[in-house]
Amino acid sequence: MIVFEEEIKKFHPCLEVGELTDAIYNQDMTDMAEVLVNVVRDAKDEADTKNNDKE
Amino acid sequence: MNYRMRCYNCGAHLTEQDFCTSCGAQVKQYKMLVMASNRLYNVGLEKARVRDLSGAIVSLRECLRLNKNHIEARNLLGLVYFETGEVTAALSEWVISKNFKPNKNIADTYINMVQENQSRLEEINKTIRSYNQALMHCQQEGKDMAIIQLKKVLKLNPNFLRARQLLALLFMDAGNYDIAERELKKCLKIDNGNMLTKRYLQEVDNMLRPAELAGQDAPVKKEEGAEVIRYYNEKNDLVIKPAQVKEPKATSSVLNVLLGIIIGVAVTFFLVLPARIQAVRQETNEELIAVNEEAADKAAQLDELNVQVADLSQKNKELSAQLEQYAGTDGNLELAEKLLTAAQMYLATPDEEGLRTIGSNLHDIETGADISTLSDSFQNLFRTLMAVAGPQISDLYYNEGYTAYQDGDFQKAVDAYTQAVYFDATDEEALYQLGNAYRRNEDAENALKIYQQVIDLFPNTDRATRSQQYINQLN
Repeated sequence: MIVFEEEIKKFHPCLEVGELTDAIYNQDMTDMAEVLVNVVRDAKDEADTKNNDKE
Repeated sequence: MNYRMRCYNCGAHLTEQDFCTSCGAQVKQYKMLVMASNRLYNVGLEKARVRDLSGAIVSLRECLRLNKNHIEARNLLGLVYFETGEVTAALSEWVISKNFKPNKNIADTYINMVQENQSRLEEINKTIRSYNQALMHCQQEGKDMAIIQLKKVLKLNPNFLRARQLLALLFMDAGNYDIAERELKKCLKIDNGNMLTKRYLQEVDNMLRPAELAGQDAPVKKEEGAEVIRYYNEKNDLVIKPAQVKEPKATSSVLNVLLGIIIGVAVTFFLVLPARIQAVRQETNEELIAVNEEAADKAAQLDELNVQVADLSQKNKELSAQLEQYAGTDGNLELAEKLLTAAQMYLATPDEEGLRTIGSNLHDIETGADISTLSDSFQNLFRTLMAVAGPQISDLYYNEGYTAYQDGDFQKAVDAYTQAVYFDATDEEALYQLGNAYRRNEDAENALKIYQQVIDLFPNTDRATRSQQYINQLN
């Protein structure tokens, strides 16, 4: 059974055209590829540091 | 579609090797990730092709979560948003896409398509605002207003899925399940994979099922309050008919009558009375206007009369001035009258009484006005009359004074001798006797003055000598 009051809470206001710029700037654009690249770089940096310490 | 991979480190195209042939960076995991995003893009594309737009949105967003540089996925996501009426979300994706790839990007075309028609853009914005307003009305128990707003929104933007779903929800809440079903079917035509639409449709189906399942005789559905309702289809219309109709009871009839009376009173109070009050007010206003107009007329008449009064006052002043001028030029009319009377009486040979009247008139004329300011003819007549009648009048008063003096009434003698001297200033004896009368009346001051006049006016006379003696005596 659908309860109107509960259902209406699932609807949210739409973004107006004037608010578009702010919405785009505030969007979190981080993706998994970026995370992966950072992880790889960090790992590489760590390995390089260890190699330098050994030398 | 396969996304052509580039090295995350140097941007060179990647080969089948697990490292970048250009910079040597390890790209094995990266390539796996990009391939996963490509798969998600492909799934999203397939779903979009069969109008499972909600499914496409989920896949494409997952794709972009893995690889935000997937331009095709982002453009497609924008297109899917646009198809569901979410224009701002679509524009957002296309703008980001264009930012990642400024050249040779179809997002450019999409953005231009929306933005080049300003009126269309404004219309879109208007629909968004109306939708937001409708949502607010829903939250504030203004459901009827919300329905009206949403109908307007859907007229301008028929694919606006959220608005149509909200409209269907409102119809469901109002118990209009058949209309809600119609709206939800339209929603399915736009996006056949939307879970919310399907859930609402299921609810609607549950409510309408008895009718659909039934042939001519529908199964009975029981609702709250144990009221039995029978549903059946007649041609294209759904007929809902109570299975049991109760006969009205006596109490309910009384209640109905009372309700009718209350409604009648309410109608009178809310419809008839305001109209009557309005009519009375209008009538009063008209009367007030008429009275005001009349008052304005009266005020105008009053002003006119005031002006006339002012004119007449001015004329009165002018005439009075003229009259005064006439009186000033020809001599005092009363004095002239007295002079003429005196002259007439003198010509008629007056007796003692007549002489007294002539004397009285002449005395009044001289004391009443400055003779020298009057006309020459007046002055001449006055002087002539004084010259001819004066001695006779003087004699009359002299005799009267003499008698009074002899009787010891010195005050009366003073008055009579004064008149005698006035009418004949050359009468030496009268002047001398006046001095005596003053002296005998114990008015030494005036007596001295008169005796001095006798000496001055009639020097070297016997009266002058005697006067000198009295002066010496009095001093």
